[in-house]
Amino acid sequence: MSKAKKGRKTGLFILLCIGVFLASFIGSAIFKLAWQDPRMKKYSVTWSEDIGTVYTDLSYGNGSANKFDLYLPADQGKESYGLVVYLHAGGFTTGDKSEDARMLQWLCSKGYVAAGINYTLFSEENPNTNVYTQSMEIKQSIPFVIEEAENYGYHIDRMAMAGGSAGGCLALLYAYRDASEAPVPVKMVFEGVGPSSFYPEDWKSYGFDQNPEAAAQLFSVMSGKTITAQMFGTDDYDEIMKDISPLLWVDENTVPTVMAYGAYDKFQPYEGSIRLDAALTAHKVPHEYIVFPHSGHGLQNDNEQGIEYYEKILAYLNRYMETAE
Amino acid sequence: MSNFFTPKRMILLAVMILAGIILGRLAVRAVLNLMLGGTLFGGNFL
Repeated sequence: MSKAKKGRKTGLFILLCIGVFLASFIGSAIFKLAWQDPRMKKYSVTWSEDIGTVYTDLSYGNGSANKFDLYLPADQGKESYGLVVYLHAGGFTTGDKSEDARMLQWLCSKGYVAAGINYTLFSEENPNTNVYTQSMEIKQSIPFVIEEAENYGYHIDRMAMAGGSAGGCLALLYAYRDASEAPVPVKMVFEGVGPSSFYPEDWKSYGFDQNPEAAAQLFSVMSGKTITAQMFGTDDYDEIMKDISPLLWVDENTVPTVMAYGAYDKFQPYEGSIRLDAALTAHKVPHEYIVFPHSGHGLQNDNEQGIEYYEKILAYLNRYMETAE
Repeated sequence: MSNFFTPKRMILLAVMILAGIILGRLAVRAVLNLMLGGTLFGGNFL
């Protein structure tokens, strides 16, 4: 074989290697993004009339975001139903109830009336919105949700709150802070990666442990109150932030809780969840604290813990939501 | 054709495929971790 011919063959082979590598790389990446652990299929359903009916964008207030979706189970034969509210994620600035359709459908398939509720998001158009006003919108919505379910023939006599991230925080606030004023008993709450307290030393991923002024700025926006760096570490600070800090409402009457957190969360502090777990333990509140040891805010690297989270949700729903007692 | 796909080249191609598969999965995990936080290894397979 001539040198030139040999050189061409080598060049061709190198090109082939690069092509094969790229094809495998891209194919593998697509497969990783698209593939769902088959064990997780158990926690979603193929929605149909046999499972339930959904009514969307029902109104609970005058704001354009004051809308909720109601999932009503097909079986209308029960005397009463439990309501499970699931609140969407989005950093208090984005998100929509429609993003939780899968979770809401699954809850409905378990025989619960399920509701996803929108709340006014912080934006340039709504600069006065904050976590407190959002939590008050959720509080305002619950009687409307229950009334609408009743109008469709579903008598609600118990409820559970739930959510993810920002929705998790709002769910905890309703369950811990507002449950005593709920139209029906709040029996439990489950949530994932929701911020539960606002101590700058916990918010390391934002650099707040080194920059309390920046912490004060963000927490002022989130709370709707004027926070200064000098307030941190004082009793006054807890009092000021109590309105949006689920941690500070934990006592012996706090409802049973299932919570999931990623140990490497960049969006909200994992350390906050350690505080919450400690508070629930100290007050002997039944709870499950599931740590995803290799995951961040998306709980994305620990499917085993994901399964455990769903199983605990089911166990708690079966235990605390089966009847109003 | 058999001259082109020598045993050595077949092994090299297999290594390229394996490397592509592994690095593809790792790249997705790395990008997600960059956005959300997380470890590169441990938990789910790659």
